[in-house]
Amino acid sequence: MPQATILIVCLVLFSAAVIGILAVRPGFTAGRGGKILAFVAMFCLPIFCGLLGFSSEMQRSKTTAFCLSCHTMEDYGKSLLVDDPTHLPASHYQNHRVPVDEACYSCHTQYAMFGGLKVKMYGLKHVFIYYFGTPPAPQDIKLYEPYNNRECLHCHLGARSFEEGVVHNADPATLPAIKSNQLSCLSSGCHDTAHDLAHLKGAKFWEKGN
Amino acid sequence: MMSTSRTEKRIRFAGICLAIGLVIEALCLLWATPIAFIVFVAMGGLLMLIGLVVYLYATVSDPVAGD
Repeated sequence: MPQATILIVCLVLFSAAVIGILAVRPGFTAGRGGKILAFVAMFCLPIFCGLLGFSSEMQRSKTTAFCLSCHTMEDYGKSLLVDDPTHLPASHYQNHRVPVDEACYSCHTQYAMFGGLKVKMYGLKHVFIYYFGTPPAPQDIKLYEPYNNRECLHCHLGARSFEEGVVHNADPATLPAIKSNQLSCLSSGCHDTAHDLAHLKGAKFWEKGN
Repeated sequence: MMSTSRTEKRIRFAGICLAIGLVIEALCLLWATPIAFIVFVAMGGLLMLIGLVVYLYATVSDPVAGD
């Protein structure tokens, strides 16, 4: 467990203990000093602890381990280890083109205002369905909206391999079309192998990735 | 006297909500699963919100403090 989380837990428990004392003896808050103590303990500390805890939980919810902890996502986790350079998520994961610890989030967030919040709301919906509904079969899971090139361009825009790529520059209209999201990186027959669960059984896997 | 007692009751209620909310949040931080995130936000967050609102209400409705 990260040291920061342990420190936050200690602070949260300390705050709970101080508030517990004030709850048992509310008479303490009658005097001026008691009122100041109560304000700090019952207003400032809970807000501070809540924000710290929320930030910690949000950070954890971005991790690959967090996403793959649901049974439904197991096959998606396996697809990151497929030994095939044309398999887009696998090549990104294995070559550290995305942070390995935040592989899912790096590609499936939205690099726009409130994009992170929007995908976390989707995530809450997923957890709710997982525990209280009927989760779909892994191969039936679809994106909420077509994959936007913006997410690819967040990293690749300006990169030499992207800007000077032979295929990207074969036609002068291609690069502007990619950049304006008119020509999809994924569904235009170029980088279209993403989480190919249908062929996962017969696939060869990168052993060192386990 | 009666209003002070009422204020104390409100502060006690707010304190209990806040303390339980904080304990739930601490447990969720230790329990690293997706459901912990929901419990953290839904239960811990709700209890803390109730506690904060009741505490603020107790403070502003206290006639002694208002003098």
